[in-house]
Amino acid sequence: MREGDKVPQPIRVLIAKPGLDGHDRGALVVAQGLRDEGMEVIYTGLRQTPEQIVATAIQEDVACIGLSSLSGAHLALFPEVVRLLREQHADDILVIGGGVVPQEDIALLKEAGVAEVFTPGSTIQRMAEYIRTHIRLTGVNDWPIVATATQRVDHIGVAVKSIAQALPFYTGVLGLRAIHEEEIPDQGVRAVFVPVGDVDIELLEPTRADSPIAKFIDTHGPGVHHIAYAVDDVAAALKAAAAAGCRLIDEKPRPGGQGKLIGFVHPKSTYGALTEFCQRTDTATDVEGGESNGR
Amino acid sequence: MTLHDRYQAWQANVENAVAKRAERKSEFVNHSDVPVERLYVPTAAMVDEDSYIKQLGFPGEFPYTRGIQPTMYRGRYWTMRQYAGFGSAEETNTRFRYLLSQGQTGLSTAFDLPTQIGYDADDPFARGEVGKVGVSISSRLDMETLFHKIPLDQVSTSMTINAPASVLLAMYLVVAESQGVPWTRVSGTVQNDILKEYVARGTYIFPPKPSMRLITDIFDFCARDVPNWNTISISGYHIREAGSTAVQEVAFTLSNAIAYVQSAVDAGLAVDDFAPRLSFFFNAHNDFFEEIAKFRAARRMWAHIMKERFGAKNPRSMQLRFHTQTGGSTLTAQQPDNNIVRVTLQALAAVLGGTQSLHTNSRDEALALPTEDSARIALRTQQIIAYESGVADTVDPLGGSYYVESLTNSVEERAWQYIDYIDQLGGAVAAIEQGYMQQEIHKAAYDMQRAIERGDEVVVGVNKFKVDHEVEPDLLRVNPRLGEEQARRLAKLREDRSAAEYTDALEKLRSAAGESANLMPYIVDAVRKYATIGEICNVLRSVFGEYQPPIF
Repeated sequence: MREGDKVPQPIRVLIAKPGLDGHDRGALVVAQGLRDEGMEVIYTGLRQTPEQIVATAIQEDVACIGLSSLSGAHLALFPEVVRLLREQHADDILVIGGGVVPQEDIALLKEAGVAEVFTPGSTIQRMAEYIRTHIRLTGVNDWPIVATATQRVDHIGVAVKSIAQALPFYTGVLGLRAIHEEEIPDQGVRAVFVPVGDVDIELLEPTRADSPIAKFIDTHGPGVHHIAYAVDDVAAALKAAAAAGCRLIDEKPRPGGQGKLIGFVHPKSTYGALTEFCQRTDTATDVEGGESNGR
Repeated sequence: MTLHDRYQAWQANVENAVAKRAERKSEFVNHSDVPVERLYVPTAAMVDEDSYIKQLGFPGEFPYTRGIQPTMYRGRYWTMRQYAGFGSAEETNTRFRYLLSQGQTGLSTAFDLPTQIGYDADDPFARGEVGKVGVSISSRLDMETLFHKIPLDQVSTSMTINAPASVLLAMYLVVAESQGVPWTRVSGTVQNDILKEYVARGTYIFPPKPSMRLITDIFDFCARDVPNWNTISISGYHIREAGSTAVQEVAFTLSNAIAYVQSAVDAGLAVDDFAPRLSFFFNAHNDFFEEIAKFRAARRMWAHIMKERFGAKNPRSMQLRFHTQTGGSTLTAQQPDNNIVRVTLQALAAVLGGTQSLHTNSRDEALALPTEDSARIALRTQQIIAYESGVADTVDPLGGSYYVESLTNSVEERAWQYIDYIDQLGGAVAAIEQGYMQQEIHKAAYDMQRAIERGDEVVVGVNKFKVDHEVEPDLLRVNPRLGEEQARRLAKLREDRSAAEYTDALEKLRSAAGESANLMPYIVDAVRKYATIGEICNVLRSVFGEYQPPIF
């Protein structure tokens, strides 16, 4: 494992039986199954009130609550858990449910904030997969907040074979204007920036066959290449991402286009989107200002 | 050449053929881990007369393997007893009268969870649960409505009630009084099986010791005052639903039964005074022959337990009478009409296994409580088996099936191993307190889930033979306002009744609970004076405490 990677913490899940229902075969089987899927599972036991469940979830700092009821009380009890979580500002906890729940009730439960309902016949594998892919969407407590909070999208990088061929689409069809062109020799790339509101589209054309952009085009074809977020401090942002288990391409900030400081995070750890942090520096403003004046 | 030699020779030949063309599986094993052979041949009991008499005997005679009555369904069919109850007492009364008008021969009452756990409908713990899985009963007024225009001397009523069984039995007796029916003429059953609540079903209230006392009190009270009442229905059903195997179902149920009998004997009751009123409740799952074998093995084992372990003399004490319900957990939410077929096979197994009464599940029960249409099909399923299939015309039609006899023996053998082990742990109560039964059941349930997910176990419509678009049928909806309506009714009751009378009755109950008197007469009196189930159970909670399940 590379330095900077962190052993991922197991996802913590609370399996809970709200109400008076005593059928716990499903709850116990799911609890055991999620443990075998590598999660840390706490089971409340029978006859829990929504208040008790929410208190346990917060105390145990879980990422997900799985509610089980086979007695038909789900419409009264599941939404109450969601409501109490909101009341306690803990609604970043993913709430899912299971049991004897008719289809039309599933819609009502989802409206009330229950993310998904797993009815009889659901597999543990599917539940585990759902939990893994959804807890981060609702935000997870153990995901550290980047110290220098992301402010906005700075630019979107688009890989093209030829800037000369691609640019007329942006200028002619979209009616935009290119403002800045530069070559970054160590990256083997030429870049043109096309502003749209306060976001730039960065057209990237490879200048040699072994450059990262050339390889990208070989593998994926031309198209969206990366998203760059404006941050106050690239170094801090990279550090925070690494601490959260992200794989970095740049361990330290390096100079990018328009004199900005930049750093890339590997798409493997960002769910497929190559992610750049970029920071405008005083020098950058000067350089940009200088160029603008020169035009 | 002996039969055995010829059998070996035949197997050898077949093995050669199988080497060229394999069978569907390399090993056939049932869910109780019993290997299933390619072919069964006669066992000792089929070729040797002494062994036959000892192991199988005749229907109505020890060890009752072939049935507890000499004529079985040639005399009369099993009791068709559909479990029903939802919402208010009025609604359930309507469903009861519908079922009776459709040819059902006994009633079976489902109570909602607050009732089962001894809370009034207006208790905060009852939130969301009132009327959901059964009828909501808080006082004798609800019970009077439930049996309105149903003469209690003409129907037998089974009540699925455990921790507060004494209270519901008392309410039933008070309703009988108000109809002018003497207690000696009422018949029915209270489930009253607390041990399996700790193991599998979850509607316990009190710790084991006072719970066992309440049960023994019912045995004693009914033996004297309500002679036609089945005082307990010792249930493997829920153990199986929680995921056990067929062998565990028999073993754990009989272990629990042993604990009840021992507890009553220890309390000074004579075994033949109460044992004839003990009854059992089993599940009918999918493995057709294993289920039939299970019922036959359970009958034989109980006869031996009562005769040899407890020294019963009355043959009725040795006869295992049982109700069967088809397996709820085998029902699928997917393609729910397929459940009709599952239920038919399971019901047939119960009948071929010699059940005394039967509940067939409705096709939509993996989705909600059954609609009237679904409940009717379920009842019709039993009627078709009874009136059209001809299986009821001879006693124990599968007796002598080489396979069924062999399975009966292996279920029995494996169940004894469990019972012996539980005895070593100190009996059923100790085994439950240590979580032994619970863990065994959970392990079996988890293995089954994994097997289904791997596709080793096929569930038609779920992991094979699926359809793209499931159409959900119309479902029964329980009135969501019922909780509030029940609360209003209770408020009126609390205003109308005589405070002096019911509080006096409750105080007498409280002091009796602190001593060793039989509590039934005190509970009957409190019910008469309009004390509610919640009030009665709270008095007992204050004396007995509440059960805390072990964490393991």
